[in-house]
Amino acid sequence: MNDRIDDFNRLGAAGLAALDKEAGWSLNAAELAAAQKHFRKLGRPPTRGELETIAQTWSEHCKHKTFSGPVRFERGGKVKRYKNLFKETIVAATKTLNKSWCLSVFKDNAGVVEFGRGKKWGLAFKAETHNHPCALEPYGGAETGVGGVVRDILGVGLGAKPVLNTDFFCFGRQDSKMKLPPGALGAPRIMEGVVEGVRDYGNRMGIPTAAGGVVFDDGYMLNPLVFVGCAGLIPRDKIDKRVRPGDLIVAVGGRTGRDGIHGATFSSADIGSDSPSSAVQIGHAINEKKILDALLRARDKGLYSAVTDCGAGGFSSAIGELASECGAVVELDKAPLKDVSLEPWEIWVSESQERMVMSVPERNLPALKKIFAREECELAVLGRFNNSGRLLVRFKGAPVVDLRNDFLHGGVPNFEKLAVYKPRPVRARPPAKPRLPLGRLLKEILAHPNVRSRAPIVRQYDHEVQGGTVVKPFTGPAGYGPSDGAVIWPQAATRDLADFAGFAAAHGICPSVGRIDPCQMALYACDEAVRNLLCCGADITKAAFLDNFCAASPADPKVLGGLVLAAEGCKEAALGFGAPFISGKDSFYNQSSDAKGKPYPIPLTLLISAVAPVDDVRAAVTTSFKRAGNPVYLAGVTWRGLGGSIYNELEKSGNNALGVISIAESAKLYRGLLPAFRAGLVMAAHDVSDGGFAAAAAEMAFGGGLGADLCPETGYAQAGISQAELLFGESPSRILLEVDKEQELAFRSLAAGLPVERVGFVSDGHDLTLLDGGGRELLREDIAVLLECWSGGEA
Amino acid sequence: MKRPKVLVLRGAGTNCDIETCNAFTAAGGEPELVHAGELVEGVKKFADYAILALPGGFSYGDDISAGKILAVKLRTLKADLGKFIASRRPVIGICNGFQVLVKTGFLPHDRSGRQLATLAANDCGRNRATLSAVGAGSSATGHFIAKWERLKVNKLSPCLFTKGLPDEIELPIAHGEGKFITVPAEMAKIKRGNLCALSYVANPNGSMADLAGLTNPEGTVLGLMPHPERFFFPWQAQNRRPVAELGTTSLRLHRCRALCRPARAPTAAKAALIRPGADFLPPGYLFFKNAVDYAG
Repeated sequence: MNDRIDDFNRLGAAGLAALDKEAGWSLNAAELAAAQKHFRKLGRPPTRGELETIAQTWSEHCKHKTFSGPVRFERGGKVKRYKNLFKETIVAATKTLNKSWCLSVFKDNAGVVEFGRGKKWGLAFKAETHNHPCALEPYGGAETGVGGVVRDILGVGLGAKPVLNTDFFCFGRQDSKMKLPPGALGAPRIMEGVVEGVRDYGNRMGIPTAAGGVVFDDGYMLNPLVFVGCAGLIPRDKIDKRVRPGDLIVAVGGRTGRDGIHGATFSSADIGSDSPSSAVQIGHAINEKKILDALLRARDKGLYSAVTDCGAGGFSSAIGELASECGAVVELDKAPLKDVSLEPWEIWVSESQERMVMSVPERNLPALKKIFAREECELAVLGRFNNSGRLLVRFKGAPVVDLRNDFLHGGVPNFEKLAVYKPRPVRARPPAKPRLPLGRLLKEILAHPNVRSRAPIVRQYDHEVQGGTVVKPFTGPAGYGPSDGAVIWPQAATRDLADFAGFAAAHGICPSVGRIDPCQMALYACDEAVRNLLCCGADITKAAFLDNFCAASPADPKVLGGLVLAAEGCKEAALGFGAPFISGKDSFYNQSSDAKGKPYPIPLTLLISAVAPVDDVRAAVTTSFKRAGNPVYLAGVTWRGLGGSIYNELEKSGNNALGVISIAESAKLYRGLLPAFRAGLVMAAHDVSDGGFAAAAAEMAFGGGLGADLCPETGYAQAGISQAELLFGESPSRILLEVDKEQELAFRSLAAGLPVERVGFVSDGHDLTLLDGGGRELLREDIAVLLECWSGGEA
Repeated sequence: MKRPKVLVLRGAGTNCDIETCNAFTAAGGEPELVHAGELVEGVKKFADYAILALPGGFSYGDDISAGKILAVKLRTLKADLGKFIASRRPVIGICNGFQVLVKTGFLPHDRSGRQLATLAANDCGRNRATLSAVGAGSSATGHFIAKWERLKVNKLSPCLFTKGLPDEIELPIAHGEGKFITVPAEMAKIKRGNLCALSYVANPNGSMADLAGLTNPEGTVLGLMPHPERFFFPWQAQNRRPVAELGTTSLRLHRCRALCRPARAPTAAKAALIRPGADFLPPGYLFFKNAVDYAG
């Protein structure tokens, strides 16, 4: 064997740790010991390639050891133990719900649900993060993040056609005064790079980037979070894949180079000044577009039996994963290279982008080659799958790796981790009177980084390629109305112009709630996602969730404690809404340290991405006011509490209580409103979230270019509620609805028994006027002026 | 009537090919996706088709510059393409397809066959959509813009694709290199011949003469940056409900000094246009329908 590490089996714990650090594997002491034990038993030292393979396969990034491992959770003297946190919370909810329309959950590169007329299609959806690379190299990190999640969709089943990209970012405040450690990139530099990376890759792939958002918080200053998602359509009979022993191992796409060595292992550790920038891959979208075009043509001809993408860990994880149920012999010298000086183990673990691996029956090879040659996409046969139960990798005949599947995939030691939670003190006293006049407050709220228009980012994305973005990021006559989600009519995938089935995609995220209560954060986020789907006119009885958790080091029991609660919240929300989780991802070690070792952890963050079918895209709903004279209704109870609100950042209210959330009540409300949406009675709908009632009403006015006279005080507001809470509170589960005045009676009878009450009318005046319960004017502001605050003059 | 065969040309990085096909199908044509390589190898021939469409995308990643590499690849086919155009069969180049037509010297065109104009990186100075509005430092020049633009239709243009359109229409744009530049002599010819078939009401990219769509003197070739295939069906509209009721507020709102350009005020024509309903034909439909009717 070449590259043997002769003294590995003789090293002590300190020696192993030093070797690990030098090689950049991010293996812990128990894992190093398990590997050593294995090779001692074999009676031979390991090769570099074997240890690299183990490090990749066992990395947090690939294995999700924390989330799927045992946890001991302590809270207020009580102890709860989990054998597998993920399975006992999120997966358990999906199992309990057992929806027949879930076609593939948690086992493939993405979750798949039933879609379309005649249920001919599967809709695959996946979101993941590319946080660590974006902290080091924002443009490259974001590009390859998009490339990676698109390949997940290409690699689900036998390949789905991507029809929507989503993007969600958490950045430090752009105007922050925070002092950065030397070498760290500033917030504007990170944001600009990330936005440009998502733009340049997504646009070139010909996939609309349509549903997204941004949260600004200094907790993300050194560790930006970059969530990228992709949805695709797959014919129902192409969802299953199975590697057949005897099939050829075929690599397609870009060549292998030195870029992206140790991406998986580096993202399983904290970021420090010594983090290697060579761990970040380099993207080249055109190569992936060629794969897309060739792969889907080969799929439709049935030329291969399985496919997966080369993501973290490169060939080692792609081939390792495909061969995990059988076995494989790989000849690395057959791989096309960008750089011929690569060591064999480097070829094996390189994360060079735009590569996929297929399992191809030999008789199909000529036809496959023809298709890939037409698309000018490179193809190489790297070896053969077999029934050996082992992974044998050679370079010019010399072994590089020889490992048994059972050890590689089942040998990772896992031990119980400690999680603790200490509740934050909550002050529920009535808020202090606002310092600023109410009109001024509304303007400041609209101009707040977390509320203001996202047009400058969104307008750089081609959100309408494929001609199917029916609800676009901005709607209304002048395109000023921000949407709650995207509605996609995948005509470019189905090519069936008589099938009007589509789907909505939306998000929920509430890190400011998480600072107060992680379980509430999960409930709020799931609620927000479902509400956004409903506002687009989607059938929320068939909503499906993706979870994306981001946290600092799970070695900190407090971090893990928050995670346990958030995972329990996800389970509760999924069961309450009847909305299963179909896929997800977690990213840990989102923390940096400066030269003195001072840690900068991110706040616990959970992004919920959700999809639901829209039976007829022609009836999809937008947020923009449509017609003067139409009545406006507020659905949902307004609870007291200003915790986590934008208002609390601008005013010292002294109140950090959270509005009460009951998933059962929310689910009842949303399901109750669905018939009104279906009957076409709802002209516009917008969820009440950041900035509260006043901000939501203003945004509806921007879209429609119309005014409104509204009173937020309804019979469904909690007793003793203050003016500030009514106008700017962010009590969950509320929606503003514009109802067709001709059909108001029909709406009222459909909404009977629900907490829904008329709050006023759309007007053809210039102003947004908000009144108190007695009809007195609280504020009256010119819509054009509010729009200028919100858009910065650049809507 | 026979369904005319439409060659929808694709190559590496073509993105808008399928929706362009769908639009032709719905307009009564018989589209076929043909890879540039099939034409180069002679497996397929221009002569077998009645209409040619060059769809949008990033051909070959737009490496070097937008549409450049595909234009170079098509050089070997220049004579065939020239014959196709000379036979007055309709050719439409949308976005990247327009860039290819410009860079192959077919639009604008003279006997020399040289490239006479270019589509350069957007100049966003007049309509900035930079990150500064969300608080970042602005990168003011030349990035990709995706938004809806109002377009003036030149009623005097010989262009066959735009026949029957109202004075003003609305279509989405999505490009990074759409700023049309040409030499004064060529611009004079364009103006004289009414070859500028479509122009922007609020120029988003710095194009000379606000040019959004350019035709040849015969009116059979059209290159345009906006995407008619994205507003082919009523439910693809940015404004999803009737705006006939568009109140005075919105007029005032969009005229608001802070936001703008007086030109942004919606006109009666616009209000009349965007009325999604059963009998409403979006402007994109006519581009394809006109070509199919002409060829059929």
